[in-house]
Amino acid sequence: MSGIEILQIWVAAFFTLAIFSFLYKDNPFFKLAEHVFAGLSAGYYVGLVWKSIILQQLWYPMMAGEWLLVFPAMLGALMFARLVPKISWVSRVSLAFVMGTTAGVFLVSQLNGMILPQMQATMLPLVLSEGAGATLMALVMVIGVISTLIYFYFSKEHTGALGVTAKVGVWFIMIAFGAHFGYTVMARVSLLIGRVNFLYEDWLGTFLLIF
Amino acid sequence: MFDRRWIYLLVALAVIFPLIVPATFKVHITPEARQLFDAIEALPDSSIVMLTFDYYPSTLAETEPISVAALHHLFRKDCRVLTMTTIPLGGPSIAERVTRALAKEHGKVYGVDYVNLGFKYNYVAVLKGMGTSIEAIYPMDNSSTPLSELPMMESIRNYDDISFIFVVSDNAIVDYWISIVNAEYATPVGIGVTAVSAPKYYAFISSGQVTGLLGGMKGAAEYERLVKAEGMALKGMAMQSLVHLLIIALVIIGNIGFFASRRARRRATA
Repeated sequence: MSGIEILQIWVAAFFTLAIFSFLYKDNPFFKLAEHVFAGLSAGYYVGLVWKSIILQQLWYPMMAGEWLLVFPAMLGALMFARLVPKISWVSRVSLAFVMGTTAGVFLVSQLNGMILPQMQATMLPLVLSEGAGATLMALVMVIGVISTLIYFYFSKEHTGALGVTAKVGVWFIMIAFGAHFGYTVMARVSLLIGRVNFLYEDWLGTFLLIF
Repeated sequence: MFDRRWIYLLVALAVIFPLIVPATFKVHITPEARQLFDAIEALPDSSIVMLTFDYYPSTLAETEPISVAALHHLFRKDCRVLTMTTIPLGGPSIAERVTRALAKEHGKVYGVDYVNLGFKYNYVAVLKGMGTSIEAIYPMDNSSTPLSELPMMESIRNYDDISFIFVVSDNAIVDYWISIVNAEYATPVGIGVTAVSAPKYYAFISSGQVTGLLGGMKGAAEYERLVKAEGMALKGMAMQSLVHLLIIALVIIGNIGFFASRRARRRATA
């Protein structure tokens, strides 16, 4: 391991410990780590946008003869009109273009790739030849979907049969929340494990090399 | 008032203890992980597989083990691997570092067995554009080498030439791989996601839009077991299990305390 790699590990370990120190209480080390992260991210994004958009996707292709790119470049430049209050309305031209194309792309992809296949997957035969287990699962899915949708139906008061079905829907929603919470705990613990493992193996490992 | 910092300390001890006293916990293979493994296993040798690194460095502990296990599997099967990322912050360098390390281990050659396309802005345009021409979207790879100079890319024009897409992600980009790439181009998509987002994608397994799902570190551990390449995830399962037991115990203690204090209050007011 080279000296620069050891230095990198020590810097990473310092900032990891600085962030963890917040668990005890707020302190200057945590603040420092927070600000360094915000500053570095902003700087990194500026550099990245310059290199991967302005140069690679606009300037170099234009220099190679793709002059049609001047139109998207002009639309991009119009966004800066927002900085001048008198002509800030001009930026709406670019925004309208972005909103129009985005709506067009997403309308088709959401309908074709999300809503219709998901609806189709819910329209199941209630008696399946795969056995009682599959039939039970199909029933649970259909009851879950219908009762949850009824819970979110607010045009009629939730009383009588509608109220009972909505209550069943609440149970399904609660179970889903429980599953999400369990997975979230697992995710956060995993991140802690990653950092602790880094401190134990990589950072403490450098002590053996140095001392 | 109970100081919550005692809980932090207990969690820290539960994570550190298995590091000092190694223990192994059995990892059961879920049908979703098995489905993903079987889908890759069923690919003909030297198939072209796209592996995405759609995650930030902050979730490395969950996502990197999935990428590593996936690369072990793909390289062992002699698949040709095309990597890319839609994440600007760290994505390209993580893809480069992980893929090069695994390629070296398996004796794979850059440009012949694997190519790293790197990052391009505007993921929707990138995902849609690659359906027509990958080279139009990525004229150069991550190291600024023109794709036309890379032998592997001679036979890859668009999604039609890709047998499987293995998406490793920590964000909602998975939705677009499903709704744009799988729905419009019918390329099979398997996913490895962070545990936070895993529950959402079970619905896509049921609908057949996703071929296999790995959820967080547990999913990575399952895949490591399936490809017989023990790594960070399997090692982390002991810590994970211990912390989960601790949290379950704390939830039970908290509930007992809540009901006991409520009973005491009711008695006092009666």
